[in-house]
Amino acid sequence: MSEQPILEVRDLVKHFPVRSGILGQRRATVRAVDGVSLTVNEGETLGLVGESGCGKSTLVKAILQLEEPTGGEIRFRGSRLIPADAHKIRRDIQIVFQDPYQSLPPRMNVGDIIGDPLRIHKLGDKSAIEARVHQLMHEVGLNPERAGQYPFQFSGGQRQRIGIARALAVRPSLLLLDESVSALDVSVQAQVLNLLKDLQDRHNLTYIFISHDLGIVSHMSDRIAVMYLGKVVELGPAAEIMERPLHPYTLALLSAIPSLSRKRSTRIRLLGEPPKPTNPPSGCPFHPRCPIARNTCAESTPQLFEWRPGRLSACHFAKDLFDERNALSMLETNRIAREDIRTERTTS
Amino acid sequence: MADRIELPVSAAVAVKRPTRRFAGLGSLWHSFDGKPVARAGLFVFLAIVLAAIFAPVIAPHDPLKQSLGNNFKPPVWNAGSWEYPLGADPLGRDLLSRLIYGAQNSLLVSAGAVIFGGVLGFLIGIISGYFGGWTDTVLMRIGDVQLAFPFVLFAIAILAVSTERTVGRLILVLGISSWIIYARVVRSRVLSERQKDYAWAARALGASRWRVLFRYIVPNVWQPVPLIGMLNLGFFVIVESLLSFLAMGLSPPAPSWGAMLTDGRQYMLIAPWMAIFPGVAIILTVLSINLVADGLAERFDPKLATGHFLRVPLTKKVTLGDWKNDQVILQVRNLTTVFETRAATIRAVTDVSFDLKKGDMFAIVGESGSGKSTLGLSIIQLLDSPGRVLDGEVLFGERDLTRVSNKEMGTIRGAKVGMIFQDPSASLNPVLTVGQQMTETIRRHRSLPPAETMEAARKALATVHIADPDRVLRAYPFQLSGGMAQRVMIALAMSSNPDLLILDEPTSALDVTTQAQLLDELDALRAERQTSMIFITHDIALLGDFADVIMVMYAGRVCEVGPRDRMIAAPLHPYTKALLGAIERRGTGGGRLTSIPGDPPDPTSVAPGCPFADRCPHVMASCRETMPPLVTLEPSHRVACHLVGMEVVA
Repeated sequence: MSEQPILEVRDLVKHFPVRSGILGQRRATVRAVDGVSLTVNEGETLGLVGESGCGKSTLVKAILQLEEPTGGEIRFRGSRLIPADAHKIRRDIQIVFQDPYQSLPPRMNVGDIIGDPLRIHKLGDKSAIEARVHQLMHEVGLNPERAGQYPFQFSGGQRQRIGIARALAVRPSLLLLDESVSALDVSVQAQVLNLLKDLQDRHNLTYIFISHDLGIVSHMSDRIAVMYLGKVVELGPAAEIMERPLHPYTLALLSAIPSLSRKRSTRIRLLGEPPKPTNPPSGCPFHPRCPIARNTCAESTPQLFEWRPGRLSACHFAKDLFDERNALSMLETNRIAREDIRTERTTS
Repeated sequence: MADRIELPVSAAVAVKRPTRRFAGLGSLWHSFDGKPVARAGLFVFLAIVLAAIFAPVIAPHDPLKQSLGNNFKPPVWNAGSWEYPLGADPLGRDLLSRLIYGAQNSLLVSAGAVIFGGVLGFLIGIISGYFGGWTDTVLMRIGDVQLAFPFVLFAIAILAVSTERTVGRLILVLGISSWIIYARVVRSRVLSERQKDYAWAARALGASRWRVLFRYIVPNVWQPVPLIGMLNLGFFVIVESLLSFLAMGLSPPAPSWGAMLTDGRQYMLIAPWMAIFPGVAIILTVLSINLVADGLAERFDPKLATGHFLRVPLTKKVTLGDWKNDQVILQVRNLTTVFETRAATIRAVTDVSFDLKKGDMFAIVGESGSGKSTLGLSIIQLLDSPGRVLDGEVLFGERDLTRVSNKEMGTIRGAKVGMIFQDPSASLNPVLTVGQQMTETIRRHRSLPPAETMEAARKALATVHIADPDRVLRAYPFQLSGGMAQRVMIALAMSSNPDLLILDEPTSALDVTTQAQLLDELDALRAERQTSMIFITHDIALLGDFADVIMVMYAGRVCEVGPRDRMIAAPLHPYTKALLGAIERRGTGGGRLTSIPGDPPDPTSVAPGCPFADRCPHVMASCRETMPPLVTLEPSHRVACHLVGMEVVA
């Protein structure tokens, strides 16, 4: 793994207007991605984790030039991406989607699905494309003789392999994996994750691995970026984040991972749901759900700050979280204190 | 399966051409199998079409030739002659010939208008839906204006100023009047298809807009067009006759059914046959077209095709099992469920038996296709055709649910047994508010005044920790997040205090954080109300300190069932072990994951022996020969594996 950045995202902003009424007046703004900066190095896997609505998928579409950003820039191998040459980067950046039932066109056979990118980019004649399709199917563990069959004749895991083969057809260097195993059975997830690791080693691929499940992300990634409400709230090496998170949201994600070995009493539960991105809370966007929030959190917005070498967190109390030997007990005391406050508020 | 065959990478095997799924007329013909009425309609329609095409050959006379000696000639059975089988009109023109040529004109105009309107509407629909924005607004507003304007007036206005009303001009007028129907349907389909991941994927691959539209989207949106066209055809036959009747159809003397009716009306008393025959022709044509359209509708919506939705209760009498333990609220015995299709009978659930204690959380774990969802549906008797319970007993509340009538099952369902599915948004009605749906459900089981019903709904939402029930009650399902919608479903199911709640992957579509919240809430509800729950999942990791009993299913059979602690700490079946191994990914930090090699067996092939044999690391010769019986190790722990049998013997 080299430290050469393959992709740089700088202060990326993507806002969607919410229009309503007959004349389509702008009523509100969805801040889907609200100032995200990331660097992805050649050959590494950057994990991107967060709940639905945190802006993961919008970020992915912006990187792929499928959505034009409202602000900020994206650089691929040093040169800035603009929508005008979106077609060129389609050979370098590819994507595997979540839903194996929706991401394949239902009325095209598998050979045509995998071969279509080659036809679009005019990479070879008919027989060359057939040979490449055959090779790709073999590489992802599918029997090439099934190229004439349709997606509905395959299982979920096999469909996801078809999606991977299609993404690899143009030999990209960066692959975006957008919840690529979330819809699969756990036992099948393992197969597909192993395949992705093998392919990465074999072709020196760079991955951005996106999921709401920190457990899978940590397994796949070298570094992890945690997103909340359109912002990155924690960024750092995977092993260190799993060992000791510097943001209470990461801690909550960590304790939500289903596990047979951990007792439920030692878990933190987030209250409520993420706020609407049309109307983010004041101060720290996480403070209404945060187990350790204090008064200052509602007032001043914490910036992403490098608290330790390579470890960034947007929490006022990241240092406390790091210093606290047992972060969980700290959260527990705080949670009880906060619930008292809440009851007081409701009664008054 | 045959999926992992090693093949030389270099060998360029020709990509096999697809076997066509839409094999044209042959399959169209077969789609009328078992529908005699629709098929009769097809026969009549084809006969009329053939008569129209071969009019010059069939018609005994020139339809325009006048023969004054034969005016008002009656039909053959009414003292007429065979020369004019259906009689003649005041100018002595042969009625039969005029009817046949009338069919030609009528069908030519109608079909032409359908094709013209259909193609126009289809093109406008895909462009409007795909490009959206101003194009869409302008096109759809034009369509709205046109729909608001009475079409017949519009047609008459144009035709009245035409000096000559030719077939082409009629096609134009009728076609323009109908494009909006096609455009609307196609547009809404394009709108939904273009948001699907495959359309995004195509764009991400670099496909041009036109390629995405025509290669990816169009193949998935055209299907309803022929059906609307068929219905429109029948309508146009009537409209064409109507225009002719009003003297706005084809310029005379061209034969037309409507014009023949006008003639007949004048001589109703002396020559009634003149009006009756064109009337019969119109009715027959339109009726046959509509019957064909009905037949086609079933082809495009296969749900209609099976004809029977209702389950058929089992009739074979059984002696109800030993119902001694009042702690047990559900006993499933030898339950077998099949899916019967024309091609094959698939056994989805084979010989499943288990007991569920009051207040227990009973987990059913398995991969896709293991039959776990079918088992859930078989217990609550919600299985859709072609699936049906073939054999077995589901003893619940001293009744056998496989044998109660549909009516009785309707009262048990919802009140005593509830079910929650994976996708909550699909389970809620999108056009009603949550409040409307909840009060309706509550009223079905309890008669309460409106205010109290609302209060009950509010209370139900509070049980699943919805902080702001009034906002949720006013909301439409699309305004709720997945987690919130699933809470509403659970609140609905729990509002009637059922004894048993079946949950089929209730958290699989949710974020892990929401999943964790929901599992806690379910567990709290169960503890508080003593509701027994069956929790169906593919992820054994969810069940850590949550399930009381875990049952592992594979290929429709029970592999192993036992108390949670035993199942997790000391599993015996190799498949249970493999499932537990597959979840050990959390925090492993790189390295390879344990996966279960291979795929589940093909459910249509019935090989002898253990279904897991092909993927089992400990497979022996006997595994491929005989199915291992479910051996009871302890009263509550049962395993179906030859290995275990050997250990017990040894």
